[in-house]
Amino acid sequence: MKKVFLVILIVAMIFSISAMAKTHLVWSVHWTDFQVDGVKDEDGNLVTKGIQQYVDEYMALNPEIEIEIQSVPFDEYLKKILISHTAGQVSDIYGLYSLWGVQLVESGILDNVPAEVEKLVSENCVEAAYNGSMIDGKLRGIPMEIDNYALLYNKDILAESGFENPPKTWQEMAEMASKMTKRSEDGTVDRYGFAFLSGWDSAVVHPYLSLLYSLGGNMFNEDFTECTLDSPEALEALKEELVLFKNGATDPAASVYGFASGKAAMIIMAPWYETSLRISFKDEYENKVGVAPFPYLKTPMTAGYTWFLGVDRASNHKKEAWEFLKWLTFDKMENGASRLGELMALNIAAIPPMKFDIEAYPDELDDLYTSVFVNELKNTISEPNVAQGQEIKTILMREIVEAWHGQKSPEEALRIAKEEIDEILEEFYF
Amino acid sequence: MRKGLRKRNLVGYGFIAPALIFYAVFFGFPVVFSLLVSTRRWNMLVPFEEARFYGFRHFEYLLKNELFMRALLNTCLYAIITVFVTISLSLIFATLINKSKFSVLWRFLYFTPIVTPPVAIGTIWNYLYKPNNGVFNHILGSVGIDPVYWLTDPNTVLFAVMITAIWGGIGSSMLIFTAGIQNIPQAYYDAAKIDGAGPFRQFWNITIPMLKPTILFLTATGMIGAWQVFDLPFIMGKNAPAKSIMTVSGYVYESAFQSMRMGRASAGAFILFIVIFIVTIFILRAFRKGGMSGYED
Repeated sequence: MKKVFLVILIVAMIFSISAMAKTHLVWSVHWTDFQVDGVKDEDGNLVTKGIQQYVDEYMALNPEIEIEIQSVPFDEYLKKILISHTAGQVSDIYGLYSLWGVQLVESGILDNVPAEVEKLVSENCVEAAYNGSMIDGKLRGIPMEIDNYALLYNKDILAESGFENPPKTWQEMAEMASKMTKRSEDGTVDRYGFAFLSGWDSAVVHPYLSLLYSLGGNMFNEDFTECTLDSPEALEALKEELVLFKNGATDPAASVYGFASGKAAMIIMAPWYETSLRISFKDEYENKVGVAPFPYLKTPMTAGYTWFLGVDRASNHKKEAWEFLKWLTFDKMENGASRLGELMALNIAAIPPMKFDIEAYPDELDDLYTSVFVNELKNTISEPNVAQGQEIKTILMREIVEAWHGQKSPEEALRIAKEEIDEILEEFYF
Repeated sequence: MRKGLRKRNLVGYGFIAPALIFYAVFFGFPVVFSLLVSTRRWNMLVPFEEARFYGFRHFEYLLKNELFMRALLNTCLYAIITVFVTISLSLIFATLINKSKFSVLWRFLYFTPIVTPPVAIGTIWNYLYKPNNGVFNHILGSVGIDPVYWLTDPNTVLFAVMITAIWGGIGSSMLIFTAGIQNIPQAYYDAAKIDGAGPFRQFWNITIPMLKPTILFLTATGMIGAWQVFDLPFIMGKNAPAKSIMTVSGYVYESAFQSMRMGRASAGAFILFIVIFIVTIFILRAFRKGGMSGYED
């Protein structure tokens, strides 16, 4: 009798322990400390919420769910996904750069977006972000961040050089930049009129794509079976960039990061750079930093890119993961914004992709900096979600940089880029 | 008798078994697996068994690829120049410091870069090489030489990185040379002096021949390390055209973790392994006469 009672007790304990066990979700993000833990003042008081506070809120509402945030720097993020998959340690939720999406989709990593979530996204999301999260004609996740490009200029340097307004076109910009470049006696550049950054693929490829789009060109044909960098538009876009190198407005040693220290008068940048500029310029921020739409060639246009939230197909808790994401991105707070929208607008300083979030933060998203990026969403074309996107982007960056250095003519650089990219497309689209 | 011998052999094998197992797990398996991966098209996202067989096409691609071939050439130049210059300079410094008054202080100063992480070294040297306010251009400017764009000019970036690597590598080589020099019997130098040999003759005819085993060791280990170089070119050469600074390890890293092409990366790593293997054999053979006999004695 005693033995039977003991067995029943053990079985009951096992059942109650398993009933108490929480559903554990792992969420991989590429955000830094303050974006995860929130912005705190000198006394350690929370000033702006980070993603951890929203997760805590969700866990309080859903005690059976436990969410672990794994933060990995952007440069290591793709590596983390690859290695964790090989090791069988998959995360349940990812925030993904859409350019990596094709490989993840083709390898069967991403779960299908539930129909109700898809409907919510299509009803509420801005077009550029929606397109950016589409792969092979299908939505692959919930857009979480949309970035595009605009011209940042130093108001003081412009005024000092006799310019009242920022340039509207690329040609105007090239002319002004040349006049704003200052050289020291030994011939080195003390201040660049304009700066790219040759080692960073986005800072090379995205301005080039913006120029290409502005000319009505594209990098690929519609079904990705051919790279169209041999088009007259592609050549003209690169030649227009090279004008800046020829007229002394910039050189390959220039860096977009010189803008914050006054070493560059103008740069092309994305919205997320605002926080860094506020920190660098401190009280001088509003007096010195100006933002204008991307200086176009023929029509106003700019390149953009998207990050989206996806769920791993191998997750044991897909339903719970989608429920959490739905709450984070569509459950509205008192001001009509979602938690993710609040995080983007107040902490990360990126543009939230949902229209209701953009409307809910007029002060933050309609300020001197972000308003230009938000207005330019209508002219934003998302970079194409093509197989081996990262590899293709690196190839194009290398060839553009070779042309900047004068190592290759623009024709030769684009021809080689096209050949190498076509080889990749042939591997994946034929 | 035979049975006893067999038992003794078994005991012997038992003793070396841990080392053999370690070698098999941490060296043999990765080499075989990397060769296997190099014959597949694998992005690490699907199970390895599902990866498509690709034959030796990755090797074919690499040997025809301009960037990989430039990476091989850059790495070869880097390895030969940095190892040769580092060993030469550290031998000279070790000889000079050996008899100087503050030898311990000098050794400490030269050894400092060894305990500094390469990332910190790369970052500091980036500042020294800055075009408009860097130390090197300031020095060049003071003697009327035009500024050099050290880390962005495709003609100078590899050499600029080599200078940093040589600076960082002198300390450890010098320390090993110092130990070698101190083991050379003083009687040889005394006898040479009696025969009228000056300091240079003593260095050439006594110090260098006696240090051949040390030179062999430093050349072999230096070459192996230099062929695998990744950190300094990666940190310092980002703004230069890739072809002027790409190394084989950098190419392998990029193929694996940016392009998600593990097969190509493994093929590149395997080519690197073969090159290092051949170079090491060549060095050992070249030094056999003096260096190896030094060990064999």
